[in-house]
Amino acid sequence: MKNLMRYLSMRLLLTIPMLLILLTVVFIVMRVIPGDPVSAMLGDHAPVKFVAEKKHELGLDKPIWEQYIDYLAQLSRFDLGRSMILQEAVTAPILEKLPATIELTLTGLLVALGIGIPLGAWAAKNRRSVGDFTARLYGNIVYCIPVFWMGLILQMIFGVAFDWLPIAGRVGSRVMSSDFEQTGFYLVDTLLKADLKAFTDVAIHLILPALTLGITLSGIFLRLTRANMLDNLKSDFVLAARARGLPEGKVVYGHALGNAFVPVLTMLGLQFAVLLSGAILTETTFSWPGMGRLLLERIYLRDYPTVQGIIVIFALFVSVISLLVDIIHALIDPRVKY
Amino acid sequence: MKNTRVSQLPPSPGGLLNRALHAFSTAGKTYGAEWYILLVGLFIVVFMIFMTAFPWLFTSFNPSDQDAGPQLAAPGGIHLMGTDNLGRDIWARMVWGAQTILGVAFAAALISSLIGIPLGLLSGFVGGPLDRVLSLTMDSVYSFPGLILAIAFAAMMGPGVVNITLAVAVIYIPTYYRLVRGQTISIREELYVEAAQVLGAKRWTILGRYIFPNVIATTVVVFSVNIADAIMTEAALSYIGLGLPAGMPDWGMDLSMGKKFLPSGSWWLITFPGMMIMTLALGFTLLGEGLAEILNPKLLER
Amino acid sequence: MKKIAAILLAALLPLAAFAAPSTLVYGTTEKLTDLDTGSSWDFHTWEFFQNISEGLMTYTPGTTNLVPGLAEKLTANAKGDEYTVVLRKGLKFSNGDVLDANVMKWSIDRVVALKGDPESLISSYVDSVTVKDAQTLVFKLKLPAGYFPALLATPPYFPTNPKVYPADKLVHDPTELTGGAYVGVGAYKLVSYKRDQEAVFEKNPNFHGEAGKVDRVTIRYYADSTTLRLALDKGEIDLAYKSLNPADIVDEQKNAKVNTIKLDGAQIRYLAFENSQSVFKDKNLRLALAYLVNRQELLQKVYLGQNKPLYSMIPNGMWGQDTGPYKALGDAQVGKADALLKAAGFTAAKPFAFDLWYTTSHYGDAEVNQAEVLKAQLEKSTLIKVTLKSAEWATYKTQWKNKQMAVYLLGWYPDYIDPDDYTAVFARTEDSVGMGINYSSKEMDALFAKEGASSDIAVRTAAFKQIQALWAKENPTIPLWQGDLYVFTQKNVGGVKIGPTLIFNYNQLTIK
Repeated sequence: MKNLMRYLSMRLLLTIPMLLILLTVVFIVMRVIPGDPVSAMLGDHAPVKFVAEKKHELGLDKPIWEQYIDYLAQLSRFDLGRSMILQEAVTAPILEKLPATIELTLTGLLVALGIGIPLGAWAAKNRRSVGDFTARLYGNIVYCIPVFWMGLILQMIFGVAFDWLPIAGRVGSRVMSSDFEQTGFYLVDTLLKADLKAFTDVAIHLILPALTLGITLSGIFLRLTRANMLDNLKSDFVLAARARGLPEGKVVYGHALGNAFVPVLTMLGLQFAVLLSGAILTETTFSWPGMGRLLLERIYLRDYPTVQGIIVIFALFVSVISLLVDIIHALIDPRVKY
Repeated sequence: MKNTRVSQLPPSPGGLLNRALHAFSTAGKTYGAEWYILLVGLFIVVFMIFMTAFPWLFTSFNPSDQDAGPQLAAPGGIHLMGTDNLGRDIWARMVWGAQTILGVAFAAALISSLIGIPLGLLSGFVGGPLDRVLSLTMDSVYSFPGLILAIAFAAMMGPGVVNITLAVAVIYIPTYYRLVRGQTISIREELYVEAAQVLGAKRWTILGRYIFPNVIATTVVVFSVNIADAIMTEAALSYIGLGLPAGMPDWGMDLSMGKKFLPSGSWWLITFPGMMIMTLALGFTLLGEGLAEILNPKLLER
Repeated sequence: MKKIAAILLAALLPLAAFAAPSTLVYGTTEKLTDLDTGSSWDFHTWEFFQNISEGLMTYTPGTTNLVPGLAEKLTANAKGDEYTVVLRKGLKFSNGDVLDANVMKWSIDRVVALKGDPESLISSYVDSVTVKDAQTLVFKLKLPAGYFPALLATPPYFPTNPKVYPADKLVHDPTELTGGAYVGVGAYKLVSYKRDQEAVFEKNPNFHGEAGKVDRVTIRYYADSTTLRLALDKGEIDLAYKSLNPADIVDEQKNAKVNTIKLDGAQIRYLAFENSQSVFKDKNLRLALAYLVNRQELLQKVYLGQNKPLYSMIPNGMWGQDTGPYKALGDAQVGKADALLKAAGFTAAKPFAFDLWYTTSHYGDAEVNQAEVLKAQLEKSTLIKVTLKSAEWATYKTQWKNKQMAVYLLGWYPDYIDPDDYTAVFARTEDSVGMGINYSSKEMDALFAKEGASSDIAVRTAAFKQIQALWAKENPTIPLWQGDLYVFTQKNVGGVKIGPTLIFNYNQLTIK
């Protein structure tokens, strides 16, 4: 346990250089390209007399390295600063949009695991059969479907042609999110308020985006599970179980699949970045008010502090996830030593 | 999207050409399904490359001709896939648009491999502080959501073929780096390389004779899979509106333009560009997949 | 948020005892920027202020008739550079706070002091505001301006409640205000607001003018046009305004279940040139492009026939417009353009090659199509080779300020409803710089001085006629089209009176 703690704190420390590297690149590139917050903010026809004054006010007239050091100093105080465009703290829009992205990501992940793992296990059991081949083909095809296109096709079928499901936003017109909003995770919020009508509405709005993300990512988990299952099916403990005369179903889905979870979990940590990328694209198709749209909007506005803030939050987020995966890994697999 | 399979790939033993020749002679019987996967992938890729090279053989319409037909004509007749809202022939845009996406994806994959492979070799072979700094940098980029990084770069640099290629290339450098570095380290520690070292072989000789050929064999496979990923990333950037300026037919952009016609029922504007992106990506994935399984006996054991 | 809900509930309870309040739900894809007259300068936010506040001057709903609003009387001195405003008696904010000349001066001075974007709409014209007595204000202008009463109808000149707004900083959301809610003098009051989701208005009992007919107006914010259209189809909203996609507008116009109200928009679109140092400093090349554009075809292709061709920078329906000169130039006159280009030394082998710029992030997705169609039209002349270039808005603005774009697509929304605001802003030497057009002509400047100095419509009309004739010769910009606006409502909604001013007065709305 002590070793684990030491390992984890090392991992956490390693996040810092990662953050610095990404931040430095974004910081410099954003300030080198044309356009700055002041001219983005001023109207297209406004006289430019306040530009210098405003730039001074925002500290944009200082040399880049000085701005950079100022920013790092600020960051070391765990302060992401204030937006240069809107009258708000950088954390305000992030705290509002991040839960939307996470909610979508997690439900998408559930769908992906729900399809990928059983299908992968089944394919492994029936290795080299037509079913196996079809499952693998499915895995390859969905992997190659652009997630935004999958979203559009689902919208076209279930949203427009059949008119069964809403195709945009997190809630419908008849439900006010401000009535229940607390954590920003609407599924949780509506349950906390025991508002069944709102919960149903939120859940219905999640179906298509979650399916879109989940189906396109299910391919990855399918192949992972299949590969690990194949290894496990040849391993000693499975042979032993068979030798003991356990039913084949129990051997496959009990022993082999159970052991395949650990590598799948590990991959999940690595794949989380992919998952987030997919979520961002799903957001654009479903007008999901999440981080992807926020990032784009703020880059266009040249809102330097907010863009930097978003990068920091994403970096922290993926680090925390992979850390969590490591912890769970260590807890469930006694063989893992640090 | 980030390459997800590469890290899974076990090192190839090399001898690409021999194996390929051997594979071709006895393929169908020995490899079964994998062989057909490879063939399908190869067929798609060759077909698309052919289309890219000789687009005029596939369509008589100019992709930018706004008088090719009436506006928003449904598929059928002389317009195989219908026309878009400006009256341009969609099939012609698909045919000519292959150049754009394939060009960007290929160039991006090439750039990332040309940067990632030497850095990986260097890092793995030299080791020490250089290795640590490089590894840390590459891991930082690798563990960050690739698309978000690409979006940030593309949005900041503005539209243009070069800019979008670079934005895509940046996120795949670590893929090659990590793979090559890992292989280099494991090969460096093989007995025969150590023996060569003891016998006084020069460092460059070891790198050139033992390590490089082995590494290259695997990267060919990775390259193919990587192109598929780059295709999807390019399409995603164009779809978000960060791709190329107008004037160049581009599948991702056509798809985002078609999105506006979703409720009014012009399904062909959405269906075909997406199908093309999927098919092209699938071609390279299957090709890479087939190659990986066939070139790698360890995988075949199962 | 809970507090607001409680207040809302308390306010609603007595009403509920009699009858359910009539509610109208209005869906839009627009966005509110800052709820502050000192920093917002956009259509939708101004629409808020036009309903929750009022100007000294205002328009009769649905018309361009400028009438006194909060003012009782407006008088100008003989020279036209000093205006005296007498306020109505007994004006009160919705919470009962008194509105007098001191509050007006405080509000206007605050906008200037905080140096937000719309500050220039005051400081470019007004030298000083003085309070003569509690009911009387005197505006001393920098130059005589016949259009000053129209300026007084713009939100930067609107009253701000000093007990609610901070004096020293701009405000983004109503939550930043003292008391957490906006307090105004308009026909409606803003009772709840959730950014990008919902805004709820209720009738203001203290409003001095015509009371609203609908008890409550709710604005629903949609992230995209497709969703807005589907919400209208499903009856989730009573009214949809700004903006549906062209293909959806075509569909909805055929939809028997909804009413369509089509309006002349105030927005114009045009091609802007950098006139001082780019290749287009040669006015014959600008004229060649003016010959080549084909407005009707552009609208048919890009907007499925929606919007109207524009043959003057002054929009259709506004006094002073003269389409004669541009109509005389015609559309798609390839022969005439070729003659000019040949005279300038261009041949098919060595064509006139230039970049045409458009922006991807300001005028909607159709902008790409517009650029593509224009390219095709210009290249109907074999002597022209166009390369399309695009940039997002922040870059675009920087580029025109730095004279990096020779020809580029722009749009214009007026700040005040006057032909001056459709012409002088682009072609008067000092104003032209701000738009990157950099046009300068003594003749043109003299004409602007002439029209600006007079408040006699006949004199000004004559001056604008000359300005438009000169425009078609010089082409500092090329007018392309004027936007149509569509309002779609369910059958039970009435009273949508949005005139050429595009001011949308909620107090006119009815719902059965």
